[in-house]
Amino acid sequence: MYISDKNVRLNTYDAIVIGSGISGGWAAMELCKKGLKTLLLERGRDVKHNQDYPTAMLNPWDFELGFNNTLKDVEMNPIQSIARGPAEKHFYVNDTDHPYIQEKPFNWFRGYHVGGRSLTWGRQCYRLSDLDFEANLKDGIAVDWPIRYKDIAPWYSYVETHIGVSGQKENLAQLPDGEFLSPMELNCIEKHLGDSIKKNDQNRLLTIARVANLTRGWDNRGPCQNRNLCSRGCPFGGYFSSNSSTIPAAMATGNLTLRPFSIVTEILYDEHKKKAKGVRIIDALTNEVLEFYSKIVFVNASTIATAGLLLNSTSSRFPNGFGNDSNQVGHNLMDHHSSAGATGMHEGYQDMYYKGRRPSGFLIPRFKNLKDNENLSFKRGYNIQGHGERQEWMDKANALTGFGKDFKQQLTTPGPWTVWMAGWGECLPYYENQVTLDAQLKDKWGQPLLKIDFSFKENESNMMTDIHDTSAEILETAGFKNVGPFNYNRPGGSTIHEMGTARMGNDPKTSVLNKFNQMHEVNNVFITDGSCMTSSACQNPSLTYMALTARACGYAYDQLKKGIL
Amino acid sequence: MNRRSYLKNIFIITGIGAVSLSVFKGFELVRPFDIRDLEKKRDVLAELAEIIIPETATPGAKSAMVHDYIINVMINCNLPKQQRRFFSGLEDLEEYSLNNYTKKFLNCTSAEKHDILEYFSLQSGYSNRTLDKIDNKLFGTPFFIKLRQLTVEGFCQSQLGATKALAYDYIPQTFEGCISLKPNQKSWATK
Repeated sequence: MYISDKNVRLNTYDAIVIGSGISGGWAAMELCKKGLKTLLLERGRDVKHNQDYPTAMLNPWDFELGFNNTLKDVEMNPIQSIARGPAEKHFYVNDTDHPYIQEKPFNWFRGYHVGGRSLTWGRQCYRLSDLDFEANLKDGIAVDWPIRYKDIAPWYSYVETHIGVSGQKENLAQLPDGEFLSPMELNCIEKHLGDSIKKNDQNRLLTIARVANLTRGWDNRGPCQNRNLCSRGCPFGGYFSSNSSTIPAAMATGNLTLRPFSIVTEILYDEHKKKAKGVRIIDALTNEVLEFYSKIVFVNASTIATAGLLLNSTSSRFPNGFGNDSNQVGHNLMDHHSSAGATGMHEGYQDMYYKGRRPSGFLIPRFKNLKDNENLSFKRGYNIQGHGERQEWMDKANALTGFGKDFKQQLTTPGPWTVWMAGWGECLPYYENQVTLDAQLKDKWGQPLLKIDFSFKENESNMMTDIHDTSAEILETAGFKNVGPFNYNRPGGSTIHEMGTARMGNDPKTSVLNKFNQMHEVNNVFITDGSCMTSSACQNPSLTYMALTARACGYAYDQLKKGIL
Repeated sequence: MNRRSYLKNIFIITGIGAVSLSVFKGFELVRPFDIRDLEKKRDVLAELAEIIIPETATPGAKSAMVHDYIINVMINCNLPKQQRRFFSGLEDLEEYSLNNYTKKFLNCTSAEKHDILEYFSLQSGYSNRTLDKIDNKLFGTPFFIKLRQLTVEGFCQSQLGATKALAYDYIPQTFEGCISLKPNQKSWATK
């Protein structure tokens, strides 16, 4: 490939950000606001806020086949079709075009387009605490986090203030309060459950979910209209996404160049300067190979793809993958489990109902293993997430018998109150849970296929047993009937919280990134997506990625200004 | 117990044996069918859906065109084994009508139609959950249960069903978590 000097100049930026999802959008906004000319590379198509949400305003009857996927679709997309229906299909990749190898069953749900999974995320925003940051050190598991809560706390506030998080302060050490907009409201049965939990154990409580759904207008967006159709994209900007918030903000600075259809295949290493000089991409439309150059590179391709990119970026300096002297890149893959829980039905509150479709549920913050000597069969903990509702037609249809007038009458009137809840549990980092590149198989751009080898192990399975039993007990104590504990035993990836494949740590021998998400071995490369996580905690992780991103951007800019980078 | 469910029982009870499979196959699994022929049974499906969700003070399945939904979803979204079971269930129902009432289903009186569907509703499934599970896994959901599922889905998500028989709140704006149930309160159409 011949690249003229002129092209080098044209293709040179202050910063390159790889990936436009929830953390990449943040990196782009922060760097642009600081005045850096920034190139944001996205492998898929552009999705413009509001213009590109084709199903957002559709009614159920606008879908000819209801919310059923077609057989052909399921055949072409055996994984993605598990997570989405026809209403969100355009925000998920095509499995046939984007294959990967499962050494063991692993659901890798992806969205290759501008905004990535920030369009379809669950919007839960929970801070980690020192219980989490100290856990590895205390347990002698993996490596210690190189940061503590005080290092990230101001950045949590910074991010929450920007994105808008509704929630209730609860003053818990294990789940620090944030900067909240007014909370959403619990319904009757959720309040009932909360009262029972509080009454029976003073160390437990139930609170409304903390979500990036706006309970008032914020940053020219929202408020949330309580339609509960978030994953189609929100024309009201009722929840935070890269598309509705960070990318437009970055664009407004005049410093952003957004380049969709840009598949980054390698980060390029400059052997003389011992820095990254830029990236190589394949244009997904023209198959043209191009290079872009910059002073700093932010990698936000998402945990598994980031690992793949690093492993694919080899040089004589880094034969095992970019910045991978530690041999930790691709390893320690984690995903929360959320398979175990319980359902129950309550006979009370028959004369009460609700109006509107609140796009969130409740949270029972972690209450196990808060102290050292609880003697449980597992380390770490879980929080319980769930929601209460009255049974509607979709819940009743199969339970009712017969047909005709009475059937219709029962089908169309509210049934008993029910609660569904499950434990979102911490997954320990295991070196053998890993992402590698296949030596032979390639995708249609000639890039090696990613191979995912992941399984939950004894600690996770013991924790699930505890969730199963404890959830049932909580519901029974609160007077629920027909309590049904469950364990769906879903494979890894199902919670869509992949993390850990380029972990932070103090020691370059055992970790990939330092305490500022900067690569130990290549100081102008920063990785702030889920791959940086040293442990998984049990909190939904996106808020932490955003806070770490903002923090790393501040640090990178500072170093750049001082002439260090 | 009719012939088919008798054979099915034998099949399931004796396990997935090659011998019983061939016996079963002989009667049902090789009966030729083309799922697109469901179009030809549109009137029967419309009638059946209406019996399941009849017009009352609010519209019924027929005026909501639920039969079209059933046909579309059955053709595009169901596995061949499910299509087979549904199609042959429908043919059985027509045959049962001819054999027992000496007329086509559509020519039966309302009471007769009701009795015929009732007969099939009682046929669907064993009184044993494990057997049901094995049965559904191997052959798809029984005819009546599938028919009712699709009727409910099609009706409750149709414009008439959602807005007239249920309460549809297109843009709720606010959420009120604990309000008194109004007299004759209908269920919300969507969650």
